[in-house]
Amino acid sequence: MTLTAILIVASALFGIGLFGALSQKSFVMLMMGLELMLNGTLLAAVGFWSFTLAGAPEGQLLAILIMAVMAVELAIGFALVVAVYRKRQADVIEALGTMKQ
Amino acid sequence: MSFPVAFLIMLVFLLFGIALAAILDGVIYRRIAGRPGIPVLMPFYRAAAHLSRQRIETEAPDRLNWFLAIGGYIAVGAVGLAVVPLGPESAVIGIKTSVVLWGACEALVVVLVFLHGWSPNSPLALIGAYRYVAIGLPIMLLSMFVLIAAALPAQSLDLREIVISQEDIWNVIRQPLGLPLFLLLGLSLTLRGPFDYADSTDLAGGTAAEDSGAYRAGWQVARLTMLVGFSAVAATAFLGGYLGPVLPGPVWLALKTLVVMVLVIGLSHLLARMPVARMLGLIWKVLLPIAFVDLLLAGLVALA
Amino acid sequence: MTDIAFYTLSALAIWSGWRVFRVDSMIRATFALMVSFISVAGIALLMSADYIGVATVFMMAVEMMVMALFMVMFMMNPAGLNPMQMVHQYRFSIGAGIVAFIGLSVAVLATNLPHNPLPAGRDTMRDLGIELLGASMLIFETAGVTLLATMLGAVALSSRNGRFGNSEEGALPPGLHPGGTPAGRKVEKGGGHGGHGGHGGHGGHGGHGDHGMKESDKAGDKGDTDAGHMHHHAPAPDEDHQHTPKKEH
Repeated sequence: MTLTAILIVASALFGIGLFGALSQKSFVMLMMGLELMLNGTLLAAVGFWSFTLAGAPEGQLLAILIMAVMAVELAIGFALVVAVYRKRQADVIEALGTMKQ
Repeated sequence: MSFPVAFLIMLVFLLFGIALAAILDGVIYRRIAGRPGIPVLMPFYRAAAHLSRQRIETEAPDRLNWFLAIGGYIAVGAVGLAVVPLGPESAVIGIKTSVVLWGACEALVVVLVFLHGWSPNSPLALIGAYRYVAIGLPIMLLSMFVLIAAALPAQSLDLREIVISQEDIWNVIRQPLGLPLFLLLGLSLTLRGPFDYADSTDLAGGTAAEDSGAYRAGWQVARLTMLVGFSAVAATAFLGGYLGPVLPGPVWLALKTLVVMVLVIGLSHLLARMPVARMLGLIWKVLLPIAFVDLLLAGLVALA
Repeated sequence: MTDIAFYTLSALAIWSGWRVFRVDSMIRATFALMVSFISVAGIALLMSADYIGVATVFMMAVEMMVMALFMVMFMMNPAGLNPMQMVHQYRFSIGAGIVAFIGLSVAVLATNLPHNPLPAGRDTMRDLGIELLGASMLIFETAGVTLLATMLGAVALSSRNGRFGNSEEGALPPGLHPGGTPAGRKVEKGGGHGGHGGHGGHGGHGGHGDHGMKESDKAGDKGDTDAGHMHHHAPAPDEDHQHTPKKEH
């Protein structure tokens, strides 16, 4: 287990997440893509903390912050989905094409 | 105590616990109902009947998740038992965050019960799954408050340290609100009595409505496994775990686990049921504030 | 031993992450994501991040449970029993994903990473606790306040009662004079094409309804074809635009 291996796994997770976030039509699936990208970020943060910081606790703090970001993303994301659905019966991204008008 | 020995003790503990819990359930129910007789062999006959029956499947079920829900529920209950120390420095899973690990198990129970209701592709099971998620998530917050309060005097999230911190006085006396609240969580985790919104009889068995044959027996065993795991954790966090005079540690742990188990089973047959909406109101407006007061008091005591 | 566990968990994390976007059943997708998170948590435990690892399992089990509920609510086909087209700009997305992966990996391989590992036997949990409530307390508290703001925002966004009344009646601003017609644009209710009868008194608000609808439908279809797929996810275009606000031209 080396830092390089961990970072490559993290970038694979990030890549898959990016693919999902860009390709999925449903809001909820898009959010799953974002979560997967954050998953990769979390792994990278913990990896850097464990291998390069000589145990300085700031690395763990970053991981905690990433988890908080996930929670925020999820809560606001679902609230927006609910609001948009109430207003327009829309649950796919294309249905929002006219939002700017 | 080495790992293989501890693991073996845990396994024996679990098997005896499941059998005893099944017997106690029938006995206590009969005592409360005022009926004579002690049906010792009844649960075993019933298990044998289930196992010998054919399994009937619904249309287009999610087979993988059906199997994983039952297996996972058993595994999560066993993990709960595994974090419990059998003596000083001898838990099967000895990590420093065992309380958080138990919390993760509680969270996974909600996931697994939902999956169990989802996978048969049938309406009553799905309704049970939804109701259980609504109740299971807030009541988990309650257990977090209570467990953190129990961890405060030990200044550690390790159950081994929590036991050592109870050498002078048990947490059940130090934090009188803790154990009653935690028992309510136990009712929810083991799908029992008033907190059984997943498998209740008003849904014809809820998430277990479509279980038959070996799966039905498996689901009941899983619920009993969770009961044993929960009782052991409660006995450790609030009743001093393996601490006690004369008798060896594991025996004390077993006796205390038995006491908690009897309490949970008794409560499950005595407490009244409520509609889901009222229960949600009770949890959010009454039980959670009480749990927070418990945490606050524990914090003040720790500071004083 | 650690290496075997690491490679197994990594493979599981990547495989289940990939399955998230390849399975038909939304429930399976959600819980595949949960498996991916739990694998990463396992790797974190291997790196002796005791608290982060276990807390990740805890957090993600709850989060994915909530996600699964929303999945079932908002998907037409949550069990994946019917075939359905759920993706757009597919080739571009695959390209972007691969470019991100290769780019990051090359960056990782090309960099001379510092090596200053965690000292053995260090109490990482104690470190974290002291840091959270000591030097970095401000950051921690900021995260807490952010979460509180998120809660308020989520409640405000998803609440039925908006500033101008119940959201299901359409968010209408108050009239210019007491009891008068609402200021600003009008939200159409009850059917896209036939609903002009009730709006006779409202001057120019209803008149251009049909025209506006057709144009927006056309625009929608064109946009769809450009994106490289032909299937409407929503039940039918008419229902799709039922609650679309109409505009004045």
